[in-house]
Amino acid sequence: MFRSQNTVSFERRNILILIVIALFAVLIGRLYYIQIVQYSRFVGIAEANRIRIVPLEAQRGIIHDRNGQIIADNKSQYNINIIPFEVRSSEKTYNILGDFLGLTKNQIQRRINHNWRGQFSPARVAEDINFKILTNLEEHKLDLPGVLYSLEPIRSFPSRASLPHVLGYLREVSKKDLKSKKYFGYRAGDLIGWKGVEREYEKILRGKRGYDYLQVDVHGREVGSLQDKEKILPIPGNDLYLTIDFDLQVYAESIMGSKRGAIIVMDSNSGEILSLISKPDYSPNLFSGIIEPSVWDKLRDNPDQPLYNRVTQGTYSPGSAFKIVAAMAALENGVVDSNWTVRCRGKYRLGRRVFKCWRERGHGRMNMHDAITNSCNVYFYNLIRKMDIDIWADNARIFGFGSKTNIDLPEESNGIVPDTEFLDRKYGVGGWAEGNKLNLVIGQGDLLVTPIQMARFTAALATRGKLVQPHVGLRYFNKELNNFILFSTEIDSIEDYSESTWNFIQYSMFDVVNHRNGTARSARVKGLKVYGKTGTAQNPHGDPHAWFIGFTKDRNRSIAIVVLVEHGGSGGSAAAPIAGKLFRYCYEKNINQMIVSSGNSEI
Amino acid sequence: MEILRFSGTRSLLKPFSNTNILMIILVTALCCTGLLALYSASLHIDLPLFKRVVGKQFIWIMMGGTLATIVFFIQRKVFFDTAYFLYLFGIVLILLPFILGKSPTGTCRWISIGTFHFQPSEFMKVFVILAISKYLSSADISVSDFRALIVPVLFSLVPMLIILKQPDLGTSMIFFILVFPLLFWAGARLFHIFVILSPIISILTAFNFYTFFIWVVLLILVLYLSKEKLWVSIVLLIFNLSLGFATPVLWNKLRPYQQNRILTLFNVNADSLGAGYQIIQSKIAIGSGGLFGKGLGQGTQTHLKFLPEQHSDFIFSVIGEEYGFAGVMFVLILFFVMIMVLLTSSYRLRDRFSSLVIIGIGSTLFLHVVINIAMTIGLMPVTGLPLPFLSYGGSFIITCFIFVGLVLNINAEKPG
Repeated sequence: MFRSQNTVSFERRNILILIVIALFAVLIGRLYYIQIVQYSRFVGIAEANRIRIVPLEAQRGIIHDRNGQIIADNKSQYNINIIPFEVRSSEKTYNILGDFLGLTKNQIQRRINHNWRGQFSPARVAEDINFKILTNLEEHKLDLPGVLYSLEPIRSFPSRASLPHVLGYLREVSKKDLKSKKYFGYRAGDLIGWKGVEREYEKILRGKRGYDYLQVDVHGREVGSLQDKEKILPIPGNDLYLTIDFDLQVYAESIMGSKRGAIIVMDSNSGEILSLISKPDYSPNLFSGIIEPSVWDKLRDNPDQPLYNRVTQGTYSPGSAFKIVAAMAALENGVVDSNWTVRCRGKYRLGRRVFKCWRERGHGRMNMHDAITNSCNVYFYNLIRKMDIDIWADNARIFGFGSKTNIDLPEESNGIVPDTEFLDRKYGVGGWAEGNKLNLVIGQGDLLVTPIQMARFTAALATRGKLVQPHVGLRYFNKELNNFILFSTEIDSIEDYSESTWNFIQYSMFDVVNHRNGTARSARVKGLKVYGKTGTAQNPHGDPHAWFIGFTKDRNRSIAIVVLVEHGGSGGSAAAPIAGKLFRYCYEKNINQMIVSSGNSEI
Repeated sequence: MEILRFSGTRSLLKPFSNTNILMIILVTALCCTGLLALYSASLHIDLPLFKRVVGKQFIWIMMGGTLATIVFFIQRKVFFDTAYFLYLFGIVLILLPFILGKSPTGTCRWISIGTFHFQPSEFMKVFVILAISKYLSSADISVSDFRALIVPVLFSLVPMLIILKQPDLGTSMIFFILVFPLLFWAGARLFHIFVILSPIISILTAFNFYTFFIWVVLLILVLYLSKEKLWVSIVLLIFNLSLGFATPVLWNKLRPYQQNRILTLFNVNADSLGAGYQIIQSKIAIGSGGLFGKGLGQGTQTHLKFLPEQHSDFIFSVIGEEYGFAGVMFVLILFFVMIMVLLTSSYRLRDRFSSLVIIGIGSTLFLHVVINIAMTIGLMPVTGLPLPFLSYGGSFIITCFIFVGLVLNINAEKPG
């Protein structure tokens, strides 16, 4: 029937067979590679495909004051997240989403890149979404694959006290910190304590994130929960109790008003800080969620430096309040005794230079007690001439000046206690003279202290040598142990001074407040033994800084107060009245009783 | 003249040779596997069984089986005699969509008669095989002569270009590649086949200096080894070189929209979702199947719809996910045996036309299998070729069964 014969050769058949075998071998090899060799990798991706892991953010621990009043709480807000892998058309999705959120496409893209945690993980694009936007998004859910919202806790501050420098604030963890070991387990976009106790007690306050596992289809629709994976509930952080007395804090903030400066109210025996103020400050509410960059820039660039904690970071000349150090050094080292007198004529001549007393007409003849009570400069000029500067510096260091107090707040300054070595280094050997000593003894010159160092100093004076570690963290409630854990602090004791020196200093400080010539009479409280010393620190920027340091003693309990009013004028008129009000408040509210009841105070 | 076999003496021939029995078993096994995969893929669809893809596919298979039986009983001489006529008929069919107007998606692949749609390019595969086979088995041509190859190449080139315009890159590629095994089987000189291929390779490699350089070296080597007449070699070399140099120049002279038009031609079925989404999901489906798969109806990639085109082009991925390496090996072995059966039976057949038809069918099926599977495992771009007997689709299933009918018909004759 057909005209031609099949003449195909054996070789040609074999060539075709070989081609078939070769191509099949390639297919089988590839299938083996994908299904056997890379099996676990693809199972992982398939699981990630079908399982949407929804992180359940844990609440941070609530921060209370010493009596259990809530200072920093949590509230929930709706956030918008995007799972990059599930976004089909970024053009379309971002445009629709952008319309609702009032963002441009590029802004959304930038936020996603900023919060990138991998293509299967949600990246934050917007926060604190209101209900109207939420409803809109819900209606357009099908047009927005990969877009989901989550309910996440943020900080709220229900209290009248702002307390920003103690609380600190939360910010997104930096890219740099994410790499460090300390922040292992943190993810981009996580909020971490950045300042204050939020930072110091991050590990305690931070909860453990939980996860929900949902089965989703290709459109990102939830098609059910998973049988094989149970939801992991978030564990809230531990509640923290501060040493702060909330009511006292509110009162202190109210009397500080718009003045600039610092207040510390501390239990002298334990270092528990009952109130801490650094002004100007900011409202912690600015940091409840993620702070707007514009707000942040404004805060950071504010010339008043509201973010700067003057209590721990600010270094100031202490002024006359520091004369106590010289007096104690002189008594203890036998330079003079307390009966040694000097006639003050209002000025002191050293070579061609004239050093003035604050009282131009002079104080007349004074012994050491009168010199402290009247805060006579000339007396101390004469005193320091008889003393080696290094003895004075050693005594300052005994009280912890020049080194950190190790308060449980980050970023503390050391301050400076000048000694021979320091002055030689700064001015060159022989480049400084007795004049520098005269400045230092009245708390001026190169001497720099922080308010918190002054508080520790004051507490040591009150307790006759207890050098406490000031702290704001009192205890926390450990959820696992179901018990309160007290934070332990170190208390050193100063053995360098004799009983008579302590007696003399306390007696003098009592008269500073209570004697009719005392410079701190405005700190007096009827019925309460108040001790103190004023300071008026000259500075090149304007009016002198006003200092008052003081304490009360009531049986064995004692409260130390430091007030600093920047450019406030004299310590007696600007700082002492504030301290007086605080002493009175403590006396009337019987804060002493409270310190005892929190169980941390004894002598 | 009798058209059907049982009306004449040929009905006495043995219809069920060993080859045919094996072929029927293989086709049945493949169809069942395909139905199982389709059943799984449509498991959660709330429709009566026969309205789901699996039910419809079953009907197609039944129709295909019927058609294959009819083809089986038609006298083979009829195919030989009507081959050119059928070819022309096929050309008219694939041109029809262009006249009738585009589909809503902007393609010209489908002919609709009422609610019934079919893809004429599928049936064209049969007609091209028959026409080329007829031409190459004519007594008055000498296959070793280069001029004898021009007509078969044109036979494949014409439908290829029309279908490229539909546009359907995958199918048009099949038409083009198909001619080479047929020429090879008919005994064309390898050098001639190489000459036909060379200009295409020249154009494709011309866009990159290194690929073009390697190609030219290869070209010179082959020309030297072929020991052809010197002038033939020189003409070929110059032709290919100038083609290679001219291509980028011409390309750059095209306006961007013209370039785009050509680029989209090669990109028709490519991923509308970007970033190789389909291939990624297919690889995830197959890879996560592991050794024995996740089991019927357990494939998360399939059932949560991560896997695209899972009824048609990516049915292999469903099998890979739910039955694992074991499942895909089973399918591959069935295909491998089928191709081998076709190859060996074609080798044994006495007359050239029958032998060439079988080789054409074998090559077509083989190309579909390789290209489709390579695509699902990320070895090739997505071209949109279905998997024979497994993928859902009426026109293609029926074409495959016409192939089966032809194979059974031809092998019913006792091979010499």
